[in-house]
Amino acid sequence: MKDTKIVVNNKVGLHARPASLFVQEANKYSSDIQVSCKDPDSGENREANAKSILGILTLGVYQGMEIHIKAEGDDEEAAVSALVKLVEANFGED
Amino acid sequence: MELEFGGEYFPRPIPESAINRPGLALTGFFRHFSYRRIQVIGLAEFDYLRSLTAALRLERIREVCRRDIPCMVLTRNRHAIPELMSAAQEYQIPVMRSPMITSRFINAATIIMENLAAPQIRVQGTMVDIMGIGVLLQGPPGLGKSETALALIERGHSLVADDVTVLRRDSEGFVIGSAVQVTRYHMEIRGLGIIHVPSLFGVASMRSNMRLDLVIQMQPWDPAADMDRTGLNSETMTFMDVSVPLIRLPVAPGRDMAQVIEVAALNQKLKRMGHDAAKELDQKLVNVLTEKSRM
Repeated sequence: MKDTKIVVNNKVGLHARPASLFVQEANKYSSDIQVSCKDPDSGENREANAKSILGILTLGVYQGMEIHIKAEGDDEEAAVSALVKLVEANFGED
Repeated sequence: MELEFGGEYFPRPIPESAINRPGLALTGFFRHFSYRRIQVIGLAEFDYLRSLTAALRLERIREVCRRDIPCMVLTRNRHAIPELMSAAQEYQIPVMRSPMITSRFINAATIIMENLAAPQIRVQGTMVDIMGIGVLLQGPPGLGKSETALALIERGHSLVADDVTVLRRDSEGFVIGSAVQVTRYHMEIRGLGIIHVPSLFGVASMRSNMRLDLVIQMQPWDPAADMDRTGLNSETMTFMDVSVPLIRLPVAPGRDMAQVIEVAALNQKLKRMGHDAAKELDQKLVNVLTEKSRM
């Protein structure tokens, strides 16, 4: 298993456009990929499948929140590093 | 409509697909006379001509015919008066007669001429009417366009054209689809051959003309292909300078395409009514997320 934590720093967080880019990227890999985060208000731990758009949207990730990406499978390394790159690039937003 | 006389003068081109009532010309005012259009002699023109002396009547009608008008149409089933006959014969202008009143005739003839003159293309694709939404199914052969259309017909929707659809642009700027006359009402289903749709599913299963609202591009399932997962990015396809919304749908074994396309059509209808589910959800998310990050 490969995992990493990263802070989402784009303007609004994971709303539909960045989430769809994230899911699109995740779908290029065969590994099982999960994204989780901790709601700072309730302390609740939320987890979603990185290949499901509605799953990612229900995480409610806003600017400044940390997410935890976990991948398991043949291409786990590549999957995690590609997703991290996407988040670091702020999903190509200006 | 019937021929009054002058059938031997056909064929004659109609340079401008419109109608003109030559009332003003008959009074002797020929400036701006639209001689390139079909000339309609209605009740008013007839009555006015009757008020003139025979010599003047002939002179004015000759002036009209001399300008090489395409043809003349007499409405309300009136017959040609002798002066009209001789002037038209002199300049070889065919004259026709219609039982309609003038205004009706002008409307009907305008619509017919517009349709005849409308730009028209043939495209590969099957067109169906899904609850008032005209959907053109396109995609490589063997992907199941006809089978999907068949499943939609079984769900109570109507077929416009199978395999080859004729598209024309009407005067309001809409694209209208219809079938090629010869193969109309027929479908080809691989393994079955040609079937006659209204015999099997009733007359309600056919629709002859339908406005095109949505193009569905069926394509083979490719997990690596970048696919719009939100429906936020709207694509369009252009036919004769008119753009029509386009949706790309991947086909996979076991995926009920008829059901998915039915939903796509309904969603299109909803968008046209001003509700875009993807945009509305995104706006809701943006609001919630922005508010939270400010706290």
